[in-house]
Amino acid sequence: MNSPNLLAFVMRRPAALAGIVLLALQIAAIIFAPLLATHSPVEADPINSLQPPSLAHWFGTDVSGMDIYSRILFATRVNLLISISAVAIAFAIGVPIGLLIGYYRGTVSSLVMRVFDFIQSFPVFVLGMALVSVMGQEIWNVAIVLAVLFIPMFARLIRAEVLSLRERPFISAARCSGATDRSIMFRHILPNALTPAIVQISISIGMAILLTAGLSFIGAGVRMPTPEWGLMVSIGAQQMILGVWWVSLFPGLAIVISVLCFALLGDAAKDLSDPTTRGRQ
Amino acid sequence: MTADPSDVLLDVDKLTVSFGDKPVLDDVSFSLRRDEVLGIVGETGAGKSILARALINLLPEEGRIASGDVRLNGRSILTMTPREQQQLRGGEISVIGTNAKSLLDPVETVGSQVARVLRAHRGGSRRDAWKAAVDLFAKVGIVDPERRAHAYPHELSGGMAQRVVIAMAMIAGPKVILADDATLGLDATIQVQVLDLLVQRCRELGLGAVIITHDLGIVAHYCDRVAIMREGRIVELKPTGRFLEQPEEAYSSVLLDAARVRPTPMGGQAPGDEQSPAPAVPAKPLLEVQGLEKYFAMGGNSKAVRAVDGVSFTVGRGETLALVGESGSGKTTAGQCLVRLLNPDGGRILFDGADVTTLPERDFRPYRKRIQMVFQEPYVALNPRWPVEDLIAEPLELDPRMSRTDRARRVRELLDMVQLPAKLAGAYPHQLTAGEQKRIGIARALATNPDFVVFDEPTTALDIRVRAQIIDLVRELQQEMGLSALFITHDLNSVRSLAHYVAVMRYGKIVESGETETIFARPAQDYTKTLLAAELPIEQSEAQRNRALARRAG
Repeated sequence: MNSPNLLAFVMRRPAALAGIVLLALQIAAIIFAPLLATHSPVEADPINSLQPPSLAHWFGTDVSGMDIYSRILFATRVNLLISISAVAIAFAIGVPIGLLIGYYRGTVSSLVMRVFDFIQSFPVFVLGMALVSVMGQEIWNVAIVLAVLFIPMFARLIRAEVLSLRERPFISAARCSGATDRSIMFRHILPNALTPAIVQISISIGMAILLTAGLSFIGAGVRMPTPEWGLMVSIGAQQMILGVWWVSLFPGLAIVISVLCFALLGDAAKDLSDPTTRGRQ
Repeated sequence: MTADPSDVLLDVDKLTVSFGDKPVLDDVSFSLRRDEVLGIVGETGAGKSILARALINLLPEEGRIASGDVRLNGRSILTMTPREQQQLRGGEISVIGTNAKSLLDPVETVGSQVARVLRAHRGGSRRDAWKAAVDLFAKVGIVDPERRAHAYPHELSGGMAQRVVIAMAMIAGPKVILADDATLGLDATIQVQVLDLLVQRCRELGLGAVIITHDLGIVAHYCDRVAIMREGRIVELKPTGRFLEQPEEAYSSVLLDAARVRPTPMGGQAPGDEQSPAPAVPAKPLLEVQGLEKYFAMGGNSKAVRAVDGVSFTVGRGETLALVGESGSGKTTAGQCLVRLLNPDGGRILFDGADVTTLPERDFRPYRKRIQMVFQEPYVALNPRWPVEDLIAEPLELDPRMSRTDRARRVRELLDMVQLPAKLAGAYPHQLTAGEQKRIGIARALATNPDFVVFDEPTTALDIRVRAQIIDLVRELQQEMGLSALFITHDLNSVRSLAHYVAVMRYGKIVESGETETIFARPAQDYTKTLLAAELPIEQSEAQRNRALARRAG
C-alpha cells in the first residue's frame, strides 16, 4: 500500500487520526521536554509542597514540592522508553520462538509451551514484584520484566499462525520446488504469519504503560525521584482523601491518554491489515 | 410453443442489477414454466449467482436492482413487504447452494433444521413437521431417514448433506427451485444421483427448476431449455436439443467446442515425436511403483486407514498415466508419496532405476529437479506474498550454479511457454485469474526441465474455456518436452484428452488399469462402469429427446 492510500485510509477513520495526533503529542513531549518544562522534574522544593494548580505550577506540586506538569512531561520519556523497549524485546524474542515451536512440533516445543503457561498463569503483579525485588528497581529491570511477560503472548500468536500456515498447499508446493526448512520458515511462513503480531505491538505498548504504572504504584517499579506516571499517582493517592486531587489526577490522565492512543493505533493497524475492511485494490 | 401463458411461474422482465455504477446484470429476460427445467450456463463473472440472488430479492449489500421486474405467478416480488418476502424465500422459491455442509447449522440436527423451515412457512406442530421432514428425507434418497434426521451436519457425507439441503428446499412446497452450482465439488457418481433425484422430484410435483452451472453435460442431460450468460447478459436462450445441434452465437459454439472431448491422447501421432506409439511395456520405465502403501492413523481409535493399499504401476518415458477415482480413493495420497510430501509406509518407488523410497530429504533433493508436481487449487498453492517472478524462480534455486540473470531469463522463457505475457512477472497471485494462476503453477513445475510431473486435478474448478486451454497447453508442452506425467483426476473427460493409460482407484487399490481407449470402450469392472456412466456427455439422452418432443406437441 502506497502513501496516498495510507493517507486516505487514515482520513476516513477519525479514531485512527486521533491516535496519530495523540502519538504526535507524546513524541513532542519526549523531544521537547526540557524546553516545555517550567521546572526541574526532580528537584524538591519543600516550601512549595502540595500547591494547587496555579500560573506558576500549572498542574500544582506534589508533597515534596516538585512541579507536576514538568514531571509528567519528563515521565513520558521514562514510560514510553520502558514500554516500547519491553515490547521490542518481547517481539524480537517471542516471534522467532513462536516460529520455531510452531514449525517443529515435538517434546521441546511442548515444554516451551508449558513454560509459557507457567509465566502466563502467574498473577502479573506478583511475578513483577518478585522479579523486580530480585533484580533491583531500575528502569531497565522493569522493561525486562515486562518483556518476559509479553514474550509468551507474541510467541503464541505467531505459533498459532504458523500451525495453520504450515498445512497450506503453498508450503507443500514450496517443498516440492526444493525449498529447505529454513527457506520455508523465513521466506514463506514468517511474512504470512507476522500481521497479527504487528497489530499486537501497539496494543501491547498500551498494556505495558499500564503495567509499568501499576508496578510503580504498588512500589515494585522505578523509585523516586524518577518521574514516572504510576509512581506519581501512587504518591498522590496518600493525599487524595485530604482533598488534594491534582497530584494523582494529572499523571492519571497522562496514563489514560497514552494507553488510549496506542489502543486506537492498534485498532487502526488491525483494520489496515484486514483486506475486508481495507477494501481491495 | 403451445404452452399456455398461465403456466408461466416465474417471469423475469428486463432485469438490470448494478453494483455501484457497474452493471452486473444487463437486461436479463426469461420465463420459467411449470414442469420445466431451465439451465443457466456461464463462466465465472457472468452474473449467474447474482441472478439467482436477484430472483429472491436478496442481493449483496452493494447490489441494487436498477430496473426491470421479477414476477412470480404474475406478482412482482420487488414490491412485496419484508414479511411477504420472507414467505416467498423457501416458501415459493427455494435456493440450493454449493457446499451443503457450510449451508447447514453445525449445532442443530439436520432433521430439526428442515422441520423448522416447514414450521416457519406452514406452521403446524413440531412433531408433524419432524415427521414430514423424515418422510421427505426418504423421498430424496436418504437411507435410514429417521436415524439420519438425528445426525449433525458434520456426521454426513457431502452427497448426503446435499440431499438434506434439497429436502430443506422442497419441504415447504415451493413452486420454483433454484439450484446454484448445487453439485459443484461432489463426485461425479454422487452428482448424478443428486441431480437425478432433484429433477425427478421437480417433475413429479410439476415444479419449475433453474439449474445454474458451468457444466454443459448437466445441461444436456437434465435441462429442457438453456440460457447462455456472458458478462451479465443472456446471449442465447433456446431448447437444449436445438442449442446442442446448432448454437447461434459464436460464444455458445466456443463453449460447446471447449467442453467436448478432443479424443486421442497424443498416442505417438504427434509430429516430430520420436517415441514409438507401441503400447508394449517399455524396456525400462522411468517410474516404477511397486506395492505402495500409506496408512493414516485415525483420530480416537488406533485403527489405521489404508489410504494407499498396495498400489503398483509404471510410467514410461513420454507416457502419461491417469489415476482416476472418487474422493477418498487415495489417488492424491499416492501422488504425494511420489514427490515425497508423504513418506510411504511400504512398497518401493523406483525412479530411473534408482530406489528413492526411503531416501532422506537431503539425498532426495537432487531428484526434486526431475520430479515435480502441479498442485490442485492454483490460488492456495501460491504464496500470496510473492510476485510471479519469484514464484516461478523458486525451483531454479535447486541449481545453485545458475546466475541471477540466467534465472531472470528462464522466468521470461517459462512465462512465454505457458503463454502468459511477460508483464505479469511483477503481479501477485490475487491479481491473477484462476487460469493464469494455474499456468503459473505449471510454469513452476516445468522450471527445472523435469522428466516427470504429477498433475493433481489439473482441470477441476476451471471455467469451460480455461479448462480447454489448460488441456491444450499441457498437451503441447508434453509433446515438446517429451514429459512423462501422472494425472490425478476425477474429470474423465480430460483423461480422454490427455492420458495414454488409465488406472482406476478405489479404497486405496487399483481396481482396473489399461490403455485409455480400451478402458473407456470396454470397462471390465463394475466399479469402472459406474464411474464411466456418471460422466455426462454433451448430448441429449434418449429420454430427454422424447420429453422435448412431447413438450413441443403440448
